[in-house]
Amino acid sequence: MLYFGDLLPYSDVFFGGLITTVELTVLTTFLGIALGTLCAVLRQYGGATPRRIVASYVELIRNTPFIVQLFFIFFGLPAIGVMLTPWQASVIALTINLGAYSTEIIRAGLGSIPKGQVEAAKVLGMTFRQTLTRVIFVPAFEKIYPALTSQCIIVMLGSAVISQISVEELTYAANLVQSRNFRAFESYLVTALLYLGLAMMMRYVFKLIGKRLFSFRESS
Amino acid sequence: MIEFSNYDIIRNLIFAAQWTVLLSLVAFIGGTLVALALTALRLTRNSILQKLVAVYIELFQGTPLLMQMFLCFFGVSLLGYEISAWSAAILALTLFTSAFLVEIWRGCIDTLPKGQWEASRCLGMSFLQILRHIILPQALRVAIAPTVGFSVQVVKGTALASVIGFVELTKAGTMLNNATFEPFKVFAMVAVIYFLLCYPLSLSSKILEKKFNVSR
Amino acid sequence: MKRLTQLLSKTLIVASSVAAAMTTMTAGADVLQDIQDRKEIRIAVPQDFPPFGSVGPDLKPQGIDVDMANYIADQLDVDLKIVPVTSANRIPYLQTKKVDLVISSLGKNPEREKAIDFTTPYAPFFLGVFGENSVDVTKMTDLAGKTVGVTRGSVEDLELEKYAPKSLNVRRFEDNNTTLTAYLTGQVKLIATGNLVATEIAKRQPQRAPETKFLLKDSPCYIGLAEGEAALQSKINGIISTALENGTLNDISMKWLKAPLPKGFGA
Repeated sequence: MLYFGDLLPYSDVFFGGLITTVELTVLTTFLGIALGTLCAVLRQYGGATPRRIVASYVELIRNTPFIVQLFFIFFGLPAIGVMLTPWQASVIALTINLGAYSTEIIRAGLGSIPKGQVEAAKVLGMTFRQTLTRVIFVPAFEKIYPALTSQCIIVMLGSAVISQISVEELTYAANLVQSRNFRAFESYLVTALLYLGLAMMMRYVFKLIGKRLFSFRESS
Repeated sequence: MIEFSNYDIIRNLIFAAQWTVLLSLVAFIGGTLVALALTALRLTRNSILQKLVAVYIELFQGTPLLMQMFLCFFGVSLLGYEISAWSAAILALTLFTSAFLVEIWRGCIDTLPKGQWEASRCLGMSFLQILRHIILPQALRVAIAPTVGFSVQVVKGTALASVIGFVELTKAGTMLNNATFEPFKVFAMVAVIYFLLCYPLSLSSKILEKKFNVSR
Repeated sequence: MKRLTQLLSKTLIVASSVAAAMTTMTAGADVLQDIQDRKEIRIAVPQDFPPFGSVGPDLKPQGIDVDMANYIADQLDVDLKIVPVTSANRIPYLQTKKVDLVISSLGKNPEREKAIDFTTPYAPFFLGVFGENSVDVTKMTDLAGKTVGVTRGSVEDLELEKYAPKSLNVRRFEDNNTTLTAYLTGQVKLIATGNLVATEIAKRQPQRAPETKFLLKDSPCYIGLAEGEAALQSKINGIISTALENGTLNDISMKWLKAPLPKGFGA
């Protein structure tokens, strides 16, 4: 019953989709973690108002489905005059989404740094920024690195949903191919395996980066 | 055209939200049962079974839920069984939920000191006795907060059932949007209803976590 | 290029032999008999494609396709089970036997004829490119460099793929709902769709009423059914020709399109 030969003529469609998914993932992983770090610092060390704003943002995103956020950004915002291309809307939606989850994760990392360590840095005359980058960030990130890795992979897999607003990524490719050759199961199965490969590769790349970032520990 | 009042929109959305709730409940219960079975398999010290569970987790955590929905929907039919959008969504969500719960619970069981297993075995307890009297009571306390927390992901996951045509909250939203053409209002309302469903779960997960952390 | 064509033709040969094998396998099953045994017919209709099928305030489908489905169930004297589908998944629904018939403003094309069978047409339909007044387009070649929204897998999607200039940016959406929303929100300035859909937009949102740019294709609507169901096919064809003769089709057209059937329709 299954026949995969019909997928061959469309291999470049799948390949194009794969590339787009990878590009989007790389871009939004960076942006999302940057946003998450900023929000986590505000949440942990900021004043009452920034804390409350960050907390509401995090709760709002964590308690609504990604597809609804995406539809709201792409179809809802034009009603108030904000017009975004499908690509822009996806980058924003994915970044906001990863940003909210990584805020919580990174904040847990920041909270795990003993107070004494921060005070010691202050006594040594370090500014807040110096303390953050030199004393707090490295051990905090090392601690939450596995959780952050998993979250980035979850967001990559979640990006399948942006096919719904016509971004030509991997799931879009699968949908397009199945609407042309009517081989729904075959094209979704191949696509699912491609995602699995991507997820495994991401875990591997994160591990490599982690080794470099936190290498000082192993040598000491 | 047919006029839709705000009341019509809200009424329809709330009606559809009932399906979201029902789908979430069934998928969560199904996912819990499957995850329990898989956890039991993992705790047996059979390495083949453990490998199989690991592959299962990798498979369902490593592919998009949307793909799992599509595959359940179109794949099961190819095997010769008829499957409705409702059953396909439940099947996909159950698989997805169980893969994450097994992993969460493993973390909980691993926090218990290994010595407890050894000590109990020395006392002559069987595998099931150790599980029932020693491990489960403690693991349950640790597991309850992250499990409730994960239920939020299940509720949100049901939104993807809209893509295979099951009319739940998100699908009703897109349908109403098309009939009213007020995307800003409709999707904002949809988001608010999801928030009202999910936030109490998130909050209770946090409270539970605090409670059990303090008591330890 | 030659190798690619060879590969393609080889693929097609294998595919068609597999398809043939599948047909002989399923030839034993008689859907018409199943319908009569079950006392119920399952029909796929759109719920995002006015005036063929869209939802009223009770979220129940209504429209030409729904009326047609009711008429056929009546004629067969069985209960009707309406299954709402999107244009992208209506054919898989049929292939996987989730429904007995697809009445979903389905146009005929060679790709589809390989996958499913069709009855005679039951409603008129024209495909075209429509859009905002500000966009200056009068023929296919004018589309170069423009962006057009279309529903994935629809006849208009395939037409554009075949005949439009390569520099046309085609934005494909999952279902007609999303395509319409994309036009209404201004995310795309041009859409390829049916003339009746464009009329419906004009009714709902007069300020965004799309202008007809040019016609793509005359593509009347057919009822789709699984391959190799000769008994069901001739039964439905009979019902359609009766409906044409006794004026039922014309009544449906008057009710939803406010116009009689075109002269010579179905001939």
